[in-house]
Amino acid sequence: MKWKDVTTEAKLLLVGIPVLLWTLIPVYHMFLFAISPRDQATSGRLWPKDPTLQNFGHVFKQEHFYLNHFWVQLGNSLWIAVAVGVITLFIATTAAFAISRLKVPGGRTVMNLALFTYFIPAAFLAVPMYKTMATYGLLNNRWSLVLAMVTIASPYCIWVLKQASDKLPWELDEAARIDGATPLQLFRLVYLPLMVPSLVAVGTYALLLAWNEYLYGFLLLSNETDLTLAVALGNFLAADDSPWELLMATGFIYALPPAAIYYAFKRYMVSGLTAGAVKS
Amino acid sequence: MASVAFRNIQKSFGKVKVIHGIGFDIADGEFVVLVGPSGCGKSTLLRMLAGLEEISGGEIMIDGKVVNDLESKDRDIAMVFQSYALYPHMTVRDNMAFSLKLRNADTRTTDERVANAARILNLDALLDRFPRELSGGQRQRVAMGRAIVRDPKVFLFDEPLSNLDAKLRVAMRAEIKALHQRLKTTTVYVTHDQIEAMTMADRIVVMHDGIVEQIGTPLQLFDHPGNLFVAQFIGSPAMNVFNGTLRRQGGRSIVEAQGNAWPAGELSQGRDGQAVHYGIRPGDIALTTPDQGIAAKVVVVEPTGAETELLLEVGGEKLIVVLHGRTAVQPDERIGLVIDGAKAHLFDEGSGQRID
Repeated sequence: MKWKDVTTEAKLLLVGIPVLLWTLIPVYHMFLFAISPRDQATSGRLWPKDPTLQNFGHVFKQEHFYLNHFWVQLGNSLWIAVAVGVITLFIATTAAFAISRLKVPGGRTVMNLALFTYFIPAAFLAVPMYKTMATYGLLNNRWSLVLAMVTIASPYCIWVLKQASDKLPWELDEAARIDGATPLQLFRLVYLPLMVPSLVAVGTYALLLAWNEYLYGFLLLSNETDLTLAVALGNFLAADDSPWELLMATGFIYALPPAAIYYAFKRYMVSGLTAGAVKS
Repeated sequence: MASVAFRNIQKSFGKVKVIHGIGFDIADGEFVVLVGPSGCGKSTLLRMLAGLEEISGGEIMIDGKVVNDLESKDRDIAMVFQSYALYPHMTVRDNMAFSLKLRNADTRTTDERVANAARILNLDALLDRFPRELSGGQRQRVAMGRAIVRDPKVFLFDEPLSNLDAKLRVAMRAEIKALHQRLKTTTVYVTHDQIEAMTMADRIVVMHDGIVEQIGTPLQLFDHPGNLFVAQFIGSPAMNVFNGTLRRQGGRSIVEAQGNAWPAGELSQGRDGQAVHYGIRPGDIALTTPDQGIAAKVVVVEPTGAETELLLEVGGEKLIVVLHGRTAVQPDERIGLVIDGAKAHLFDEGSGQRID
């Protein structure tokens, strides 16, 4: 018995250690670049001879041509991500409530259409989306990216929330109706509080999707001061002599908020997102 | 408090008709139990009264007012669900105060009413707990508290005790009955458990396949079941029933079955030679010596302390007898059975209707 435990453990480690290394080495690599002086960035050492935080100073003080709008772009990223998170959450929650709890006619069709959008990769929609935004005169406007990301994130979020809603006991709605609750009161006082774990998970998903987005930001925004940091990071590679250490330092900063959010909400992420994983 | 009336109520789910024209009245302050096997339509009827289910035909009235098109919240009813349906994110206090909060009641009235309900139900110490921190019986009491706080015209109970263990069920049964005696609120209670129905109801409505089989007080149903279904449904252990032929000899009647003559008392209906079901309750049979009465063989003896249940064999048919107290009879022993014909129940074999 004991021996079996040991071998099981060993097998898990055998899989786990490579996966861990696979995940961490790029991050470590990025970190290494970020704390290396410019001339040692590509030295290939496991730890720089003269580690420095100077690069972060350069980034924060916007002391480079590529970093002229660092704070504005970070703000853009944040603004867009939060807007996408909030709007997606609003759309998905109300849709899931209407379909799952109020049994609105046509709800099934909406769910099927939402599922259908999974079959179309986001990249396929980039050009049509660009055309649409151009038609409405939204190009170079942060709202274009927000709307595009909400469009991409919503179907999945509706689906997850609908599945999670279906698991709430139906009697709660009936009890609330008998207690005198209108549909809006039911939504606000009973449904929302019980959906918090799923809402956190879905909101975080939409927020991070927008935070990490590159392609749509690249297409829809072009003014330096409108760009998200993700697109600005890509622009570092426009020249031959890219300042790698600054790119990595900025990237490292850019990666911190998602890590923090994920860490803070990991409890909800696991339970919330798997709630809709299987059709029950 | 209010009266309730059902007038030719019908219900269909799509093409399937589940309730076929039910009509009866419930008096102000009455405790009425709807009982029947699962699928008989009792819960559907209750849910229609609650406004949770559309009414396909007929009228439901509360206090003489047709409520068919009223929303649940405007019918002034309170319902206790089988699953309790407590709001998991609210404390006991908030659960009970929820309906008052929705009605914008002032804080003092709310506090008073909640405190009052909590006192009645012994929930004072639990007001700040969450439902997940309560036992099944406590949750059930909170669900009742939520109903009491409303001070509604009608209480509705949908199998409220089904999720409790046997001992707690008996205790809660008494509690609900005591509560009704105290509050005197009109109550409609749905259960599939005939013991619950018998012990709690002022009147029982026995339902089967979407129709009402019989309405009456518990003892009326027990002593004079109107048809074979009610006879077999009410009473535990169930009534012994077997097929036979009615013989009328002057004033006396007997039923011939398994070569025995079963006394049937005085009948005003029924004709000689009619095919009937003969029913006799396990408690209405007495034992005697083997040379007298109807010959029977003991198969199993089950002493439960206060009573003894015997499984007997009479001419190939199984028969159950319940004796008060103890008995010395042993398995395989031959005995005689004595039956008071007045206690027998006869039903037409075709229609199942009672023959008096």
